[in-house]
Amino acid sequence: MRTTHYFAPESLDEALELLAEYGDRATILAGGTDVMVDMAMGRLKPEVILYIGNLPLNGIEERDGALFIGPTTKMATLARSPLVAEKAPVLAEAASKMGSPLVRNLATVGGNLVTASPAADTASALLGLGAEVRLSCTTGERWMPLEDFFTGPKECACEAPELLTEIRIPLSGGKRGSRFIKLGRRKAVTLSVVNVTVVLDFDDGACRQARIALGAVAPTPIRSRRAEALLTGQVVNDELIAEAAQAALSDISPIDDGRASAWYRRKVTAVLVARALKEAVA
Amino acid sequence: MNYEVPFTLNGQPVQITVKATTTLLDALRDECHVTGPKKGCGTGDCGSCTVLLDGEPVNSCLVLAVTVRGKNVVTVEGLGDPEHLHPLQKAFHEHYASQCGFCTPGMLLVAKSFLDKNPNPTREEVQEAISGNLCRCTGYVKIIDAILAAAEAMR
Repeated sequence: MRTTHYFAPESLDEALELLAEYGDRATILAGGTDVMVDMAMGRLKPEVILYIGNLPLNGIEERDGALFIGPTTKMATLARSPLVAEKAPVLAEAASKMGSPLVRNLATVGGNLVTASPAADTASALLGLGAEVRLSCTTGERWMPLEDFFTGPKECACEAPELLTEIRIPLSGGKRGSRFIKLGRRKAVTLSVVNVTVVLDFDDGACRQARIALGAVAPTPIRSRRAEALLTGQVVNDELIAEAAQAALSDISPIDDGRASAWYRRKVTAVLVARALKEAVA
Repeated sequence: MNYEVPFTLNGQPVQITVKATTTLLDALRDECHVTGPKKGCGTGDCGSCTVLLDGEPVNSCLVLAVTVRGKNVVTVEGLGDPEHLHPLQKAFHEHYASQCGFCTPGMLLVAKSFLDKNPNPTREEVQEAISGNLCRCTGYVKIIDAILAAAEAMR
């Protein structure tokens, strides 16, 4: 039986060099809440485990009009951060609903993005916040909007030898209303049946920019461009909210799976988009 | 390939030798012979493997033993013993919060860490705090009663 090797680099340079050397033979380990489950279920037998938990990649900082979050920041940290609660509340809300209190003490926001489940709660919140991610390797780094990051169910643009090293959330100066809603099969330890993130930026009573992100209703977390277009430049009233909720249905392609049927997901997406918009405006 | 992992277990320095893929749960039970944490699901869904890692409750089935080098691990064995019950253990006993006992080590550790942060919780807050720990016997009511009683005793 092949033996597994383990590395726990203390510097980012060391980690990137190891990634360059081992490429996709290396399994990156942060919180382990996805990797360890895959290993327990026999789906993953790593040749090399590259533990990034000792790297200085956790942290939440505001600078230059944006919030910068390290990828190994734990969900529990995001959930209780006063800075996130103030500047990006939908992210705190999503982080607080993910997994269980125990899982949140291990799970990382970067890991959630890289696992790239279409149902990922913080992925939806970050998409709604207009986040970008930085991918680094030994030869350089690049920034990518989160819209371009998810390429398929559990597939993303970050592959060896790159490592996701930072998340940037642009902050709005003006009036903003936002809401995250997760519908699960139960109140805890449940994947999303549907999740919705709504972020509305207002100017003089009208919605200057709307971002509506939806999870578990398409192959990746998505934005509802049709719903967003309806709201842009408009005063958001009940009638417009109802129209936007219906418009969102044209952007989704839900499937039947272990948690819900496509039929149910269609029904409840419209309900949750309307509810999130109402609560974001209130 | 074997790895040596020095860490602190229930206040004592220990060192174990494990494979890279050994979970903290298996290392605690098989190498350290500390059987408080239980293997209920092995996938982080039931909470019966809960330990405190640097003070925070985590699923030890989701932690690689090699990653706890230099860290502080506390199991239920470090909470108290029959001659010196922790107030939570006393409350669980008095309120019949344990039937088969399988979930109990995890419940006690989650409760301890929760009350350390929130010494005067509401019932809802206790419910939320233990939402990652399943109990198949008690229906949770007595567990919550016990945690609230312990909180009062400890204030």
